[in-house]
Amino acid sequence: MMSAAGIPILQVTALAKRFGGLQALDGVELAVAPGEFRAIIGPNGAGKSTFFNTITGLLRPDSGRVIFEGRDVAGTAPHLLVRQGMGRTFQITSMFPDLSVRENLQVALLAHARRNWSIWPYARQMHTERAHELLHLVGLPGDAGLPAGTLAHGDQKRLELAIALAGEPRLLLLDEPTAGMAAQERIESISLVHRLATQLGVSCVFTEHDMAVVFAVATNITVLHQGRVLAEGSPAQVRANPLVQQVYLGESITSEGVCR
Amino acid sequence: MQSLLETFAQHFAWMHNPVVVARQALAGISNGMLLFLIAAGLSLIFGVLRIINFAHGALFMLGAFIAVSLSGWLPDGSASFVAMLIGATAGLAVIGVAIESGLLRRIYRAPHEFQLLLTFALVFILGDAVKLIWGNQDHSVATPPLLVGSTQALGLTFPTYRLFLIAAGIAVALGLWWVLHKTRWGIFVRAATMDRAMLGALGVNTRVLFTTVFALGAALAGLGGALAAPVVSIGPGLHVQVIIDAFVVVVIGGMGSVMGAFVASLLVGLVNAFGILAFPGLSVVLTFACMAVVLIVRPWGLFGSPE
Amino acid sequence: MSRKVPIALGGALALAALPFAISDFWIFIAIEVLAFALYAVSFNVLLGYGGMLSFGHAAFFGIGAYAAALLVKKAGMAPGLAFALFPLAAMAAAALVAAIIGFFSVRRSGIYFGMLTFAFQMLLYTIALKATGLTGGDDGITGLKPPGAFARPAVYYYFALAITVPALYVLYRLVSSPFGTILRALRSNPRRVQTIGVNVRSHQLAAFVISGAFAGLAGALFAMSSGNVFPGWLNWTASATPIVMAVLGGVSTFLGPALGAAVYVVLEVMISGRTEYWPLAMGVIILALVLLMPAGLTGLARARRT
Repeated sequence: MMSAAGIPILQVTALAKRFGGLQALDGVELAVAPGEFRAIIGPNGAGKSTFFNTITGLLRPDSGRVIFEGRDVAGTAPHLLVRQGMGRTFQITSMFPDLSVRENLQVALLAHARRNWSIWPYARQMHTERAHELLHLVGLPGDAGLPAGTLAHGDQKRLELAIALAGEPRLLLLDEPTAGMAAQERIESISLVHRLATQLGVSCVFTEHDMAVVFAVATNITVLHQGRVLAEGSPAQVRANPLVQQVYLGESITSEGVCR
Repeated sequence: MQSLLETFAQHFAWMHNPVVVARQALAGISNGMLLFLIAAGLSLIFGVLRIINFAHGALFMLGAFIAVSLSGWLPDGSASFVAMLIGATAGLAVIGVAIESGLLRRIYRAPHEFQLLLTFALVFILGDAVKLIWGNQDHSVATPPLLVGSTQALGLTFPTYRLFLIAAGIAVALGLWWVLHKTRWGIFVRAATMDRAMLGALGVNTRVLFTTVFALGAALAGLGGALAAPVVSIGPGLHVQVIIDAFVVVVIGGMGSVMGAFVASLLVGLVNAFGILAFPGLSVVLTFACMAVVLIVRPWGLFGSPE
Repeated sequence: MSRKVPIALGGALALAALPFAISDFWIFIAIEVLAFALYAVSFNVLLGYGGMLSFGHAAFFGIGAYAAALLVKKAGMAPGLAFALFPLAAMAAAALVAAIIGFFSVRRSGIYFGMLTFAFQMLLYTIALKATGLTGGDDGITGLKPPGAFARPAVYYYFALAITVPALYVLYRLVSSPFGTILRALRSNPRRVQTIGVNVRSHQLAAFVISGAFAGLAGALFAMSSGNVFPGWLNWTASATPIVMAVLGGVSTFLGPALGAAVYVVLEVMISGRTEYWPLAMGVIILALVLLMPAGLTGLARARRT
């Protein structure tokens, strides 16, 4: 699964995490090559969110290693991982509702420029050009002075993407990036992410429930089941895998999505 | 080195004297029971309404003052004492309903600083109202005749009223336990302290629940005030004092847990009682240090649940 | 922008000319307003900008006051020197205490954060009450008198102005800076701030210390003017004051709390002059504020304009 260039951008070995009686992650092995657009799929409870939270430092794994760009990062504080080039978006849209759209990006850009301890200069005009560039990139042309909380759901998702991109990540983790959207909107949304990722050279790992979305853009798919990797491969390989079909309750998986 | 140990040991010299130990233990436990009545209500109000009722000490104080008035109007006697208890409890229940439905209800969705300010406002208003109605001086209430004097137990002599307080406290604790575990209302209350969102799903009338919880909390504080009346100096400023120990108890016991309030009240009562003997100046500092440590290390206290 | 300049100039002129227009009594009140305005604005850095509601902010006001009092009365240095140093000493003492309290408090959020600040304040209150040798116990420290000309109200007024205005300016630059933007983001969504690469705890702690330091400066200014400091300044009920002032003025603007402080102080003076039931009046005012005027005075002014 690795490109000829060599080291994977993200490598996970024997990752395990237990919550009380539940073994959420049970020895996950994963390698993502630079430039991939990897989908992580699996039934509810398969461990997708736990997996993300562990990689991004919000949870400490019980065992196993997380290697980002060749460096072991298990146990690193989440904010430091962001600084090292790992970005993230959230399933439940997370941005700064009280700040204006522009300020949402400014704050991310200020942090990225390591200006968060700067206490004297006026911040109001800082990074406005780049902020507008990013807004344009994600397709948010409207009034950037409006409070971000007033945006429509889909636009909030775009804003969240822009905030993540402001940090110039080399790896972007997207937790259910199309959650809460109508079917057509989902394809558009993930295509935008894919286009931008390719354009900016960002490797992506995203979790998703909608198979149409997955098959539209994923370069490779990892299937998680009960905290373990069940199958991995190209979309065609995964689609044809009998174990995967079994796990999705004997439903055949086509490019139109799961049909009963 | 020897003298250091000796000096330290001096702080605990009283341990050799069983009469002193017993007397302090009794004082500690009975004070703990009074604390429990305040803290239980405070804890429930926080657990269900998610409001830190800074005015809870004022409610306790009102209960004591109602007892003062009733003792003035009624003839001395045990029946009057019972009437005082009932009067204070019922009176505070009514006041509680008024406060919750008239004031608190309007700010449940407001930012936290508004909720804080509202309870502070009640502290200020009730504190002065008490002065207006009962004057600036200290009042007292006579111990009911049946409970005057001392009782012999375990070869030692104890003030009867203090024993009564302990019995009353245990009775209230058992009653609360029964209500919270054996009635439908109680089960909703406990569910609310654990997961407020669940209530909506269960179809519970949260409005009524909130009002009744606050009323119960106020009633308990009122009962505590009336029970405390014979042993406490009742004056303005009482409300500022009692709330402090109540907060310590609620933090240590766990916000939202009545069982925690009971255990922590006993703990704090005993620590205060013996602390005064061992380290007279510092015992107060000790309680706040404990409060801070619990908040730092295990903020949900002994019996609370981490959110 | 162009409308603000004449207003600012007019305000500056009024502030400068004030001592000539009012009696000594009212100059003392004006000094109190300056100190409390600084107190309220610094508290709002924490609340309105940082989104952190502290139940124990009076601790820093009190520490600053006690630090100044101890320096002037007990440090055994020349009155002139002590007076020159007291603002700095107050800020340093308050900042140090805020660093300790803040270190533990910001590790928790919401209610637990608030209760921690409450617990620490009560700890300090108890020390102020019991350490009679140092703090004078219940009697507090009295007889604080600025040296020489500074004891005259008008002169102290200009001294207070010379401290308060630059202090407010520094705080203004702070909240307008990149750090200030991070603070506002912390208020809006603290968890998200982590994922833009910022250490939430350290920034919250910094805000806490700065806010505490300037509250300490305010306390010291006021103590030197009123001539005394008492342990009651550290009792938990005193922590209502900065919250009331900030909300009264409006927490969503920088100077809103300063306006709230001015109104609060003047109301207190006028009502306390007529009745001993100022707490009752204050309680009623708070109720009216919270139930009827949630956006504060500046919110009211804004609503009027639209």
